[in-house]
Amino acid sequence: MWVLRRIGVALVLVWIVASVVFLAIRLVPGDPAEIMLSQGGVSPDAAVVAELRDQLGLDRSIWDQYRANFQGLLSGDLGVSLTDQASVSGQVFARLPRTLELIAVAALVSVLTGIPLGLLAALRRGGWFDRLAMGLAGLSLSVPVFVVGTLLVLVFAQWLALLPAGGFTPFRTDPTRHVAQVLMPAITIASSLAPVLFGMTRAAVIDVITRDHVRTARAKGVAPAGVVLRHVLRNALIPVVTVLALHLGTLLGGTVLVEYVFNYPGLSGLLVDAVNARDYPMVQGVVLVISVLFVALNLTMDLVYGVLDPRVRRA
Amino acid sequence: MRRINPIPLAAVGIIALLALLVPYLGLPDPVRIDVPNRLAGPSWQHLLGQDEVGRDILSRLLWGARSSLTVALLSATIACVIGTALGVMGGFLGGVVDLLTIRAADIVLCFPPLLLALLVVTLLGPGAATLIPVLALVYLPGFVRVAYAGVLSVRHQEYVEAQRALGVGKLRIMLRTVLPNIGGPVLVQFSLAMASAVVLESGLSFLGLGVVPPSPSWGLMIGAARSTMAQTPLPLLWPCLALTLTVLSMNALCDAVRAAVDPHGVPPRQRRWLLPALLPGLPFRAGASLAVRDLTVAIDTPAGAVRPVRSVSWSVAPGETLAIVGESGSGKSLTGLAVLGLLPLVARPEEGAVLFGERELLRMDEAALRRLRGAELAMIFQDPMSSLNPVHRIGTQIVEAIRAHRPLSRRSAWQEAVALLARVGIPDAARRARSFPHELSGGMRQRAMIAMAIANRPTLLIADEPTTALDVTIQAQVLELLAELKAENGMGLVFITHALPVVAEIADRVVVMYAGEVVEHGPVAEIFTRPLHPYTAALLRSAPPEDGSLPQAIPGTVPLPQHLPAGCAFAPRCVSRRDACEAAPPPLEQAAPGHDTRCIRWREWQRLPVTQGAEA
Ligand code: SF4
Repeated sequence: MWVLRRIGVALVLVWIVASVVFLAIRLVPGDPAEIMLSQGGVSPDAAVVAELRDQLGLDRSIWDQYRANFQGLLSGDLGVSLTDQASVSGQVFARLPRTLELIAVAALVSVLTGIPLGLLAALRRGGWFDRLAMGLAGLSLSVPVFVVGTLLVLVFAQWLALLPAGGFTPFRTDPTRHVAQVLMPAITIASSLAPVLFGMTRAAVIDVITRDHVRTARAKGVAPAGVVLRHVLRNALIPVVTVLALHLGTLLGGTVLVEYVFNYPGLSGLLVDAVNARDYPMVQGVVLVISVLFVALNLTMDLVYGVLDPRVRRA
Repeated sequence: MRRINPIPLAAVGIIALLALLVPYLGLPDPVRIDVPNRLAGPSWQHLLGQDEVGRDILSRLLWGARSSLTVALLSATIACVIGTALGVMGGFLGGVVDLLTIRAADIVLCFPPLLLALLVVTLLGPGAATLIPVLALVYLPGFVRVAYAGVLSVRHQEYVEAQRALGVGKLRIMLRTVLPNIGGPVLVQFSLAMASAVVLESGLSFLGLGVVPPSPSWGLMIGAARSTMAQTPLPLLWPCLALTLTVLSMNALCDAVRAAVDPHGVPPRQRRWLLPALLPGLPFRAGASLAVRDLTVAIDTPAGAVRPVRSVSWSVAPGETLAIVGESGSGKSLTGLAVLGLLPLVARPEEGAVLFGERELLRMDEAALRRLRGAELAMIFQDPMSSLNPVHRIGTQIVEAIRAHRPLSRRSAWQEAVALLARVGIPDAARRARSFPHELSGGMRQRAMIAMAIANRPTLLIADEPTTALDVTIQAQVLELLAELKAENGMGLVFITHALPVVAEIADRVVVMYAGEVVEHGPVAEIFTRPLHPYTAALLRSAPPEDGSLPQAIPGTVPLPQHLPAGCAFAPRCVSRRDACEAAPPPLEQAAPGHDTRCIRWREWQRLPVTQGAEA
């Protein structure tokens, strides 16, 4: 039952986000068509503006536009780009998998480093390892991603010439190069995600370890490894997963900087270009797809949460 | 609120001061181009060198700090003022306002922050003037949330309700009581927003969507220096360093503010084991299954060690039940935990010995002790809800206890777990084994705990308030169950409780503890008919009498171990106190064979008629 309700809430959220994106563009003071076409203060040609108004249907009532907009959305049509008349959905779905791959690799790296190190630091709380790891996490969290990325390029691509400075090669064309090109941007993203997971794991473990049920496990004579894995880490993962979900969601739109630094043709790069070109349909399409993914991700995480914490399932 | 750690505060202060004073430092013009000297190294005129068009790097760095901090400060302030106002209004006025502000904030929070910023930049065009409202919008929902939560938490507190009853206007209440109360969390949120705004501003500028060239900005500087970084890395490294140091000190300041606003206890120390020391020469009762001798438990605090358990001795024979009674704070639970080596991290056994058969538990290494725990020596805890792991099935948790000590297959251990659940009186045990703890009733959970404890047929069971959370009927059933199990296995039982009526039913001998010490120790019949310590007598009178008359509560509370009276610890609450009682701590004296008391007037109580006992 709770699954159905979560799905319902998710659908409502998507609808709200789509409406907000739609309205945001229409509610800006002034004529959207004119704003879109004015570049560098030059007033656009009236005929061109009229043509664009017609193409975007801006002369119709807002309700008509809204309906047309949603009919388009439901049939998977996100409109066409203003710059090159390409289909927005085509562009978006060509680039989406690349961004998702980047996020997935970054998440994997972060989970594999942040969680074990957080557990270890918590178990050695106050010791030298804990202090060292806390210091590194704090530092890593303070260096903005585009600085990390730029420095990685400087060191590994320019000075050491170990990895390509950026770009993208399809896996089928050249698997090795594909991996080499995904590696640095993914690590850059992980440099901000891993410390978050580290801190959350550490805090959650420190919290869980003092709970009564851990004492019960020890009273049963369970071996230390079993106590730590089945009773401490297992319960500590619940808040960690929540934080992971939140941050993965933020990453959906937040890889902009990393993609830019590594010249990686992902979804965010598309967005930046569209923003620069004031290509409204494209911006609208990208934002919408990202928001849908964001909501879908939260839904998935709710479901994972239900598996991790049986108490949630009752609600 | 505690003091804010001065180091990050000073660091942020220095950066802010530099940003404030740049125009007066006599630095070269940050936008003056000097192409012939592009990428020149450090010189006297240009301390950090010149950038790709010959502008002075140091000057641009400091002017960059100025623009970055201005944007961050303005946007965070706007977000703070508007967001807090909206949150307070939503929380306080409720209804439609609540709906509009909070739901709107939730929707904005659905957008990733950078995405939101990009969207707004699309609409308004790039530039520093756009940047401030954009960032303000990004941080607004955070303030709304924090303020709203703060208001909800104080709204129903008594003083606010009282003011409302007195007819104080809503606005006045908001300004006078609510705002100061949510100040802490809002301050934390503000410092977070500032730090994050610096990062976001530099990121947007790096993309060319923030501060517009040629105005100096760290993000722009990093972006521009990228093209030449292979030849001259310094113009790239300086702004990277400046940005990192600024964010680092701002983050540290956030942590410091948070720590000051929301202090979470002192971190515990991590020593657990007694250094192996010579065992004291111990006479102990022949045939005892478990004997505790002169056990002292210490907790290290910043003000020195306190001792919540002092020199406690008792023993249990096989098949015998020893009850340890006392109010909360008497040290009875800590004694039980010390025996199994399960003391909380802050506490450690300081002196004494615990003999289990031939073995001394306090000095045993953890691995050996672990093999005893849950096997020969088991424990049941007070609150079965928190003592069971909420994320594992009941059966799994029992299987774990079985398999920790016996090499059974998962399948046969599961069958045994089901049999155990049936044994402790859980109907439909095969199905219940698959339940999670929250799906069972309190009584069921306690039975499951007991099943877990007896899974490996212990020779000694320590039960810490096993019936406290249960209603009277269930309580009686659990006691009966314990008695049956004892009879079946001949196990010894240590029953820790504050409820004397339960003791009368189940115990053979009783230890009465007060403020960390044994104050009386004797056979159950004698304790109940002729208590030789006023505390025992007071406890007896505080139990609900069977004839329905009112129980007499003991006035006052147990003294904390760091504030013990000089003489008899019970003296401040004792109705039979004499001056002599407060002169020196009374010793534990033997009044009769097997009956000890820690009251200097015990001879007088002994002469009183039966059923009256001490100071009737
Ligand atoms: S020693 Fe004195 S104060 Fe203490 S319990 Fe006995 S009579 Fe009361």
